[in-house]
Amino acid sequence: MNQEEKLNKLKDILLMEQRAQALLVQKQIADLEKSINVKKNFSKRVDPIIDEKLQEFVINMPKTIGPTITSSIKEEIRNSQDDVVDALFPIIGKMIKKYIQSEFQKLKENINNQVNKKFSIKGFKRNIKSKFTGVNQTDLILSDSRDYQVEQIFMIEKNSGILKACFSRGEKGYVDKEMVSGMLTAIKSFIEDAFQKSNQALELIEYDLYKIHIINFKLFYFATVVSGVLDTKSKDNLEDKLYQLRIDMLKDNKEIDLKKLNKKINQIFQHEFF
Amino acid sequence: MSFSKKIVLLGHFSVGKTSLLRRFIDDQFSEEYIVTIGVQVKKKVVTVKHKEKQDISVSFIIWDIEGNKSVKSTRKSYLLGTHGFIYVFDVNNDLTYKNTLEEIDYLKSTYPNVLVKVVGNKIDLVNAKNIENELALLKIPVDILTSAKTGENIDFLFKKLAEEFVNG
Repeated sequence: MNQEEKLNKLKDILLMEQRAQALLVQKQIADLEKSINVKKNFSKRVDPIIDEKLQEFVINMPKTIGPTITSSIKEEIRNSQDDVVDALFPIIGKMIKKYIQSEFQKLKENINNQVNKKFSIKGFKRNIKSKFTGVNQTDLILSDSRDYQVEQIFMIEKNSGILKACFSRGEKGYVDKEMVSGMLTAIKSFIEDAFQKSNQALELIEYDLYKIHIINFKLFYFATVVSGVLDTKSKDNLEDKLYQLRIDMLKDNKEIDLKKLNKKINQIFQHEFF
Repeated sequence: MSFSKKIVLLGHFSVGKTSLLRRFIDDQFSEEYIVTIGVQVKKKVVTVKHKEKQDISVSFIIWDIEGNKSVKSTRKSYLLGTHGFIYVFDVNNDLTYKNTLEEIDYLKSTYPNVLVKVVGNKIDLVNAKNIENELALLKIPVDILTSAKTGENIDFLFKKLAEEFVNG
């Protein structure tokens, strides 16, 4: 063994461990390269982390960037109102147009029905009414075409808000009627108290397509929930019925017979369209 | 047979009127304090035995109104037509019960035919015996001690009220 061979042998002995380590590192680098450069391997490792972060982001988004987005949108809308109107008009316009068309269609059908019944007793009556009052038949037909309906009637003790009698068309409302009476009385009391106008009483509450007409008597009041359009004539008609009911009650007895009263209210309003 | 009675809950702010009502109506309780604005109306039917043994249902229409330092400053229209007042105070806060005597006198003189019950609430926070002694010393006319948190005596209070309405 010459000098060089001896030196190599010595090198082998001394560097054996380092070489093994170098080989290991080389293998690890190759694995790492494989996991980074091969898309499938890389996404297998990274996807769960991204998913987790994304989920966190979605959860925290309303808190972190929600207010910024909201204020930006608000500002944008404020600054470009005309653009917003332009963008929304075709959609809202279409909806309104469709609604009006459908209502006109209903009105047309209603008027056609009435005209077709020209030779009926009702048509004959209308003809005479038109001649005597001077109102033309078209107006009379139009006024007949508008319908409104009494949905609910509550007879409520004025101070306590205790429900005395009621009428409901179909299954109305999810809230207990006695609670409704109490809350109505509380609202009425609040308004009448807050504005402190002597001898003034709340007479009307409007919400969406419904109106609550309130007719006050000394010890109680009637709250009538009406859908549709209630013109003056129909309102008078409704009030007359309730006044008559009150007169009948007084005639019957000073003490109100609640069962009888409930029956009477239901008889009057069950089949009634004003 | 059944009849309806209007009950109004009175008392200072945060004495637990709404919690008491919530425990009675829904059997629920929350530590969170939400101030009552205006009024909320709830209903519960309690059935009791009449002297002559038949069952009678009393429909309680309960008005939970906003708290006030004095009954005198409560909106008068809320109190009209009431059949029973429940005056609630907090046994843990003497500010809420030191004027009880005057408050009850005022209620009884202004609404002579109305039943009044005085309720010391939040009994779970104090020693019942100690507070009973203190209230006796101060001559606070308390009818019943309750806890909206644990439900102690809440049903009993309304049952007692119903019995008084039925049997006088």
